[in-house]
Amino acid sequence: MASDTASGDKGSGPNESTETDNSMFECNICLDSARDAVVSMCGHLFCWQCLHQWLETRPNRQTCPVCKAGISKDKVVPIYGRGSTDQKDPREKLPPRPQGQRAEPEAQGGFPGFGFGDGGFHMSFGIGAFPFGIFASTFNFNDGRPGPPPAGSAQHQEEQVLSKFFLWVAVIFIIWLLLA
Amino acid sequence: MASMEKRLHKELQALTKEPPRGVHVDQESISRNITEWLVHLDGAEGSLYNGEKFQLVFKFSQSYPFDSPQVMFVGNNIPVHPHVYSNGHICLSILTDDWSPALSVTSVCLSIVSMLSSCTEKKRPPDNAIYVKTCSKNPKKTRWYYHDDDV
Repeated sequence: MASDTASGDKGSGPNESTETDNSMFECNICLDSARDAVVSMCGHLFCWQCLHQWLETRPNRQTCPVCKAGISKDKVVPIYGRGSTDQKDPREKLPPRPQGQRAEPEAQGGFPGFGFGDGGFHMSFGIGAFPFGIFASTFNFNDGRPGPPPAGSAQHQEEQVLSKFFLWVAVIFIIWLLLA
Repeated sequence: MASMEKRLHKELQALTKEPPRGVHVDQESISRNITEWLVHLDGAEGSLYNGEKFQLVFKFSQSYPFDSPQVMFVGNNIPVHPHVYSNGHICLSILTDDWSPALSVTSVCLSIVSMLSSCTEKKRPPDNAIYVKTCSKNPKKTRWYYHDDDV
């Protein structure tokens, strides 16, 4: 059964010389004649779809499947034969898939401790004394708080008023400290 | 899925037509299931394994050839070799990290014959006992550490 299907691909009596001729232009990945052919800088022929899938499989280590030379999407050359009806660059047919976007979680449940995880460096002091408060807010990198609201929105104006109010509170407090 | 089967048929056709020396595909096993191949391997002449016969099993996932096949020795004769565990698992980088879709069943078989042939002393890997007890059934699940390129 297996051999039936296999020979059905090329016809039952393939000519020896035509077969070797054709194999020159076979994709190195699917072993079929290359569709939307591209050639790497090291000279190896692939279907664009096959090569693209391989590059997506190992995004960190993109090497030519045949010779392990460095390879990239931008450094392959499309091949246009005379008989091909579609003269478009095959690389445009299958646009590179956008990378998944990964947002930081909004709320961090519980005490994060001294975690050196993915979210960046987070340092928190357990003492509420005055100088430490400054440090704590200075050293809180990338703590996952939501960004400011867009300018013009009601929340933005509200926050502007609040920020002015606290600025005045701080100024009065400092003057009181100096006078006392 | 279709592309995987198409490629396997092409490989089978080539391997049946021009098999490398000492490599025979078990056609009967494949006619039952194209995703699992049994391959008979002969120890190369002039090597320590001359005259021995081994069986390899290839299991292909749906993402073959982008994903490497699962390859291991089976049967009652597992070669005694520093990179072959007594449960048939093979420590060979092209079967995991260094796999490339341009490799094939034929090239994997030749690599394994060549790996056997360059052996100078028949012995099991030093960690054989503990590995065989603790490993997964699938050799691809093992985090292989490739350190010895001599053999």
